[in-house]
Amino acid sequence: MGKVTFGKKWTGLAVLALLAGTLSACGGEDSAKSGQTSDPSQPVTLDWLAYNSYAQPDPDSEIVKMVEKKFNAKFNIWYVDAQQRNDQLNVKFAAGEMPDVLQVHEQIPKYVANGILAEISEEDIRKYAPTYASVIDDYGPALWNTVKYEGKIYGLPAINLSGAYPQSLIWRQDWLDKVGINKIPETLDEFENALTKFRSDDPDENGKKDTYGMSDYALRYIMGAYGMPADGANYVLKDGKIQFAAVQPEMKEALALLNDWYNKGLIDPEFITGENTGGYWADSQAFYNNRIGLTGNGMFYHWRNEKFGDSDLGGGQYQNFKKAQPDGEIAFGVPPVGPKGQSGGPQWGVNSVPLGITPKAAKDPRKVQTILAMLETSFTDYDYYINVYRGKEGVDWKKLEDGSIVAIEDPNDNNASFKRGAQVFNMMENPEFGKKASERLYKFGDSVKTKGYPPVIVPAVDSLSQYSGNLTKLQQETYTKIIIGEQPVDAFDTFVKTFMDNGGSEVEKDVNEAYQQMTGQ
Amino acid sequence: MKIKHRSWSDRIYVTFAYTVLILLCVSIIVPMMQVLTVSVSPVEVINSYGFHLFPTKFDFSGYQEVFRKSIIWTAYGNTIIRTVLGTALTVILTFMGAYPLSKKSLPHRPFWTALIVFTMFFSGGLIPSYMLIKNLGLMNSVWALVLPGVVSVFLLLIVRNFIAALPESLEESAKIDGAGELYILWKIIMPLSMPILATVSLYSAVGHWNAWFDSMLYIQDEHKQVLQLILRRIVIDGTLDPSAGGSTDLIDRPVNGESMKMATLVVSILPIVCVYPFLQKYFVKGTMLGSVKG
Repeated sequence: MGKVTFGKKWTGLAVLALLAGTLSACGGEDSAKSGQTSDPSQPVTLDWLAYNSYAQPDPDSEIVKMVEKKFNAKFNIWYVDAQQRNDQLNVKFAAGEMPDVLQVHEQIPKYVANGILAEISEEDIRKYAPTYASVIDDYGPALWNTVKYEGKIYGLPAINLSGAYPQSLIWRQDWLDKVGINKIPETLDEFENALTKFRSDDPDENGKKDTYGMSDYALRYIMGAYGMPADGANYVLKDGKIQFAAVQPEMKEALALLNDWYNKGLIDPEFITGENTGGYWADSQAFYNNRIGLTGNGMFYHWRNEKFGDSDLGGGQYQNFKKAQPDGEIAFGVPPVGPKGQSGGPQWGVNSVPLGITPKAAKDPRKVQTILAMLETSFTDYDYYINVYRGKEGVDWKKLEDGSIVAIEDPNDNNASFKRGAQVFNMMENPEFGKKASERLYKFGDSVKTKGYPPVIVPAVDSLSQYSGNLTKLQQETYTKIIIGEQPVDAFDTFVKTFMDNGGSEVEKDVNEAYQQMTGQ
Repeated sequence: MKIKHRSWSDRIYVTFAYTVLILLCVSIIVPMMQVLTVSVSPVEVINSYGFHLFPTKFDFSGYQEVFRKSIIWTAYGNTIIRTVLGTALTVILTFMGAYPLSKKSLPHRPFWTALIVFTMFFSGGLIPSYMLIKNLGLMNSVWALVLPGVVSVFLLLIVRNFIAALPESLEESAKIDGAGELYILWKIIMPLSMPILATVSLYSAVGHWNAWFDSMLYIQDEHKQVLQLILRRIVIDGTLDPSAGGSTDLIDRPVNGESMKMATLVVSILPIVCVYPFLQKYFVKGTMLGSVKG
């Protein structure tokens, strides 16, 4: 035994020495690199991770070569597994490797504290990417707040165009017809009426009472009628203060109604495990299988039932539905209006994954300028944007008469466009160009657009990441129990207290402080 | 084995054992059947309720998609290379390492053994390992997948114990007949150690076949990645609601269908399923030998 302890001590020391050696070696390398002032005639080298990395782009592809030439740059494109991004990056960061520019999928304060993100001065952004900056201003100055930490900008906010559209509430049109309802339900009473008939009037005509009104996806629209959809530890802005949606008194009313509906059989008892029993997240097997007549997790492009031309089959989920129920029809619904006139569906919000630059890039002004110039070009030059975002005309996409661009699917590889370098250099979605390129689709989206509750934009706080797991679990468990009647509706009051005592109050306090700091009040 | 008279307790025992075993078999076979059936079914069948144990309608588009995906075959090749290379090296090095350690005449034998056993309990951890691989210049090559775990202490000890249990007189008689050390190792110890070496190779091969984490970490080039990593990516694709991860959903991003995912699963497990029954007897035998005599 004595021998082993002796060995352990020495090995421990040796390991420490080795570690120190490698660490200092890494540091040395980095500082040596950045110390060099780049020669303006030579291309600037950029370690690039400002893309989704769904597949590895070919470094010799036409798009990469074109961008390299246009910006006098040389790209070293990082490839990390998109599903394991943070795990993989954390190891690399710890080992001292970092790209020059990256998509920031982590919380900004955390990356700033670890020295991964460098400040980008607002002056530079407005000077080198003025169009981009004004687009962000137009979409909402609050977007700048999402990338601020202690008053400084640590990222370039990005816009998710589809996040401006709420998720779609979908009715079984043929069921509505069968039960004699000829108008899309708009209020809670009309919803209850329709769902009751779905339950009792055998809309699938199989002679059995095996249909329900709705399952879990539509729950959030019902809560929306009471002012906010509670979903885990999400916030709501009330009286100028950030609060948890889950503990609002309005939610008690919503739960009382849902409990009543559950007792009347309007809600599928299997909502607890969800109406999606596998596969793509927007699928609803309960809806496909004549079990429920109301669903609502997908976007308008998933459920699009307006066909663009003869060969078009509609949105992916609509296609799946039609394959399961060839005679079925769907209709886009509107979120129910509640007792106080409120309504709205869940919505992602336009806030998307921001881009950040690392201290390695921040040291070299040329790198920063190149990155910003590329971003600006994505916002000013439509042909360039389409080229870097969608690829090459005739190979990756084709133009329709109305100017819309549709992808040409490669039968051999659904990632072929990514490999040819598409979606690597557009950096982020450009809302205006995006709408232009998919005009028909967004026109359709606008035609079925309803009211929505986008998430409240607030800074990330540490206490939330600490408690959100437990709080979400508590919210989901309690809500489910109240709906199925395992706990009385009055248990909501105890739940509020438990929720606030177990981190809720702490997070609320932190987030409001950070929010005030962010908005500068 | 003939049992003529069965007492009640025997019968209860046998009934119980068979029930448990049958349930266990069902729990293994049912998911397999589900995977196989989904892989050959059209989407409307997949989305219908209930178990899918027997195909009702056939649609091989899933397999067609898999066979057209070149990355799967590249990854297949990488996995085979890594498995063959890794297993061969592991067997050779483990055997060569275990043999001297089994000799009582080896000077400072307890010290060497302790040194090796030490690594079983203490490792550098993820980040130092990553830095080591990087500074050794092994990144992005098959050696990063093969070398770090090439000798497992556990397997080394099993082999050592196995060799130590061989009768010493065999060696002595060989020596009397004029055999040298290498000749003894090659012609006497090696043939006798076959069962344990089969076990080691099976452990190692299955480990290499299933590994994906190291490939994710050390391999940056998609064309050098192993099958399980590609498989994992294909299977998870599209199941997570993008809003939950805070990322955006691309309208035009094609998503892999369920039948395609299951077809990939079938294609990737087929070889190991075919090989396993023939190697399993060594597996059981070898493990028993190692454990009983250790």
